[in-house]
Amino acid sequence: MNLQLNHFNGKAAATTQSVVDALYQMLDEGQIDQAQFSRVNVQLDWIQYKQNFREMVTVSRGSKGQHAAGAKESGPPVMEIRIDTRQVTPASLKSEMKRAITAAESDTQSADDRIALEDFKSFRNSIAWEFNKLYWTWLRDWEKATGKGYEQALPGGKSDGNHEDAVADSVGDFWTLLRDMETKNQLPGEIFILEIGVGSGKRCGMFVERFRSLDAQRGTSYYPKLRVLMGDYSLATLDMSRPAVKEHIELCSFLALDALNPLKTLSFLRHKILYIHSTNMYDNLPDEEMLRRDGRLFYVHVRAYIPMTEAARIAEKFKIPVGSIRGHIDKLLSIGPDAMGERACGMSFWQEVWTAIRLEEKLVAIEELPDLALPNGLDMVKLEGILDESPGDVRFHLSSGALESFVNTIPLLHPRGYLQVQDIFVTDLNDYRVGFHGPGKLDGSIVNWVNGALLRGVAERTGYDLHFAPYRYRQGSKTSILYTSPRE
Amino acid sequence: MVGSYAMPGWLERLKTEYFARRISHHDLDEIYDAAAKAAIKDEEIAGLDIITDGEPRRDNMVDYFLERLPGVQIDHSSKKFYYDFYDSSVKGKLPTASLGLMKEFQFLATYTDHSTKICITGPHCLTKRIRNQFYPSEEALAMDIAKVMNLELKALAKAGASLIQIDEPYYSGFPEDLPWGINALNTLVEGVDTKIGLHVCYGNRYGKPSWEGSYRYLFPTVLSANIKQLSLEFARRGGEDLELFKEFNPPFELGVGVIDVKNHEVETADMVAEHIRRALQVMPVEKVAVMPDCGCFHLPRDVAFSKLKAMVEGTKIVRQELGK
Repeated sequence: MNLQLNHFNGKAAATTQSVVDALYQMLDEGQIDQAQFSRVNVQLDWIQYKQNFREMVTVSRGSKGQHAAGAKESGPPVMEIRIDTRQVTPASLKSEMKRAITAAESDTQSADDRIALEDFKSFRNSIAWEFNKLYWTWLRDWEKATGKGYEQALPGGKSDGNHEDAVADSVGDFWTLLRDMETKNQLPGEIFILEIGVGSGKRCGMFVERFRSLDAQRGTSYYPKLRVLMGDYSLATLDMSRPAVKEHIELCSFLALDALNPLKTLSFLRHKILYIHSTNMYDNLPDEEMLRRDGRLFYVHVRAYIPMTEAARIAEKFKIPVGSIRGHIDKLLSIGPDAMGERACGMSFWQEVWTAIRLEEKLVAIEELPDLALPNGLDMVKLEGILDESPGDVRFHLSSGALESFVNTIPLLHPRGYLQVQDIFVTDLNDYRVGFHGPGKLDGSIVNWVNGALLRGVAERTGYDLHFAPYRYRQGSKTSILYTSPRE
Repeated sequence: MVGSYAMPGWLERLKTEYFARRISHHDLDEIYDAAAKAAIKDEEIAGLDIITDGEPRRDNMVDYFLERLPGVQIDHSSKKFYYDFYDSSVKGKLPTASLGLMKEFQFLATYTDHSTKICITGPHCLTKRIRNQFYPSEEALAMDIAKVMNLELKALAKAGASLIQIDEPYYSGFPEDLPWGINALNTLVEGVDTKIGLHVCYGNRYGKPSWEGSYRYLFPTVLSANIKQLSLEFARRGGEDLELFKEFNPPFELGVGVIDVKNHEVETADMVAEHIRRALQVMPVEKVAVMPDCGCFHLPRDVAFSKLKAMVEGTKIVRQELGK
């Protein structure tokens, strides 16, 4: 048995002994057999998101008999026990571990203590992302129902992207690039910039306003050449962003685009855009996780469910049978909050369900999959190369959505252009051993750290070096700023 | 073809295996031969008139030559991927010796009956990738590289190479170098008794351009180049710069790029035909050669093959229109 403490603090450290005691008792009482015990990996996490998808103890395991073809392994499949040391209470630890191990015994059937909302699948295809999409589609209604804007849900209560000094520095860097191009007679007639995921539009408005001032102050005439492209998949968000750029509206275009594939909408601007920016966008794109254990790679497949106790409470509150909850959720996701009749009722149901949703997990060895569907831009050769530099046993994000977005964005860059992304990045694979990095729930949406190390590896093979600068404009900020530079 | 054909993913992996010393040089050579034969066959089936070996042996357009240039010191630990550039330097006068390019040409000539083309990275481009610690100027280094390589080109011409293309993409990145860049080119091809082409693009590292601008910088200086053909990229960039050929009426052929190699979307034959028609508005038909914008190195094989087929079909359309 391996036990790994992923976050070191007093409570987590104290929990370690309790976990060992509980496991020993279970072994002693025959609730775990000796052979299985040898393949147990216990991860002690500290979940930083108050709202998340985890119970106090979760167990994931590989299928029975799941071994690589020709592998010399024998014995039971791997088992991973993950314990949230923030939620844990010593009195309930052992019973929770027993419950979670029993629930993980079944490969296909859902345990009686929950309502499954889907079959096991990669997280990126989970119903959880449909809730995320619903949130951005009905953002105004969510904000009205909760009484707070989405930026208030962010750590710190506002977006780091809107910090005046950060924007000023970005503008300064961009102006310097334009100046250099002008001196080399390389300045194009139209200067395209793109914001992907516009949010409130505030950041873009600040950028363009600051740019206009700097342009005037330094006596250049770049501002009239600016072509500001504001892209977002949510028309509601695009609409909400307009007032923030109203002073520059004649330079702005509002584009409904898929952040996973901006090239699809903007192919006519291939190799033309000089500056592409986004803030807190990658962390909200569909993702999935992998696990390397004893040299083998597993996909972490998930199944969303609602614990039965929560289901009963929701059913009582909305005067509906427990058995109809799944059907109401399907209607909510396809129609929106009007699905329950009164919108306010639908909003309330949505909030309750979202709070209650959890994810159970199963490990699927990659050789068991009919086909290996790695994210666009990544293949097994690249992945193995990147993992060569990581610790042996590691669970990591594939950051599928971020990778897909990245490889479908960089062809838009002008040879002198650059991409700047402000987000929460894991820049070293070793960091996955010392912290939990999502997924968590951020108000009505999903938040997931982005595997910057993987992104860097993919970028290298597509002709860019990635750099991650810690965000220095707000003390305690966990965000970094990614920017690209072309590889020679 | 401008030079390279699609680099298969499996070949990338095997190159890495070689770097990791898990396969021998002999095995890698056999793999290269197989890849070259496959590229030649694809080009023939696509219907090309002039064939290259697809250049599977080249890690990139620079290192393949720098490793062969005597006197250039290579730091073999300096690259992470086979495709990266080595760190290289020159610390003394370059000696004269064979570069061993003949073998590549002879292999190509053995496996096709079609006309052939062999591509040589030019002295300006190579100079830009070398840390010069000996020569008084980049121009002086380029001239010596040209002199050393000139002997190789003469040998290739003597062995039957009917078209040698000199690749100089860095002209577009350093237009201020053009006068001495053309001098070095002329030194390189001096006395080489075969058709010489010059290819100038805007870079094709990782399937993306390295620079942007107008080919106007080439004129009129390039008119003094001792070449029979100038090939440029037009499919990706549009045909605006074709007007330069009308304006300057150069003595050499126009190699018109009609396939965008930096975009995986396959052109239709009609699109190709339209590119050719535009070229024919500025140059007579006997002085126009049709080719992709640059090498197909970064394209998936199926995409590259489809693009070549579209290029051939588009050319046929125009030939029919012209009654050829």
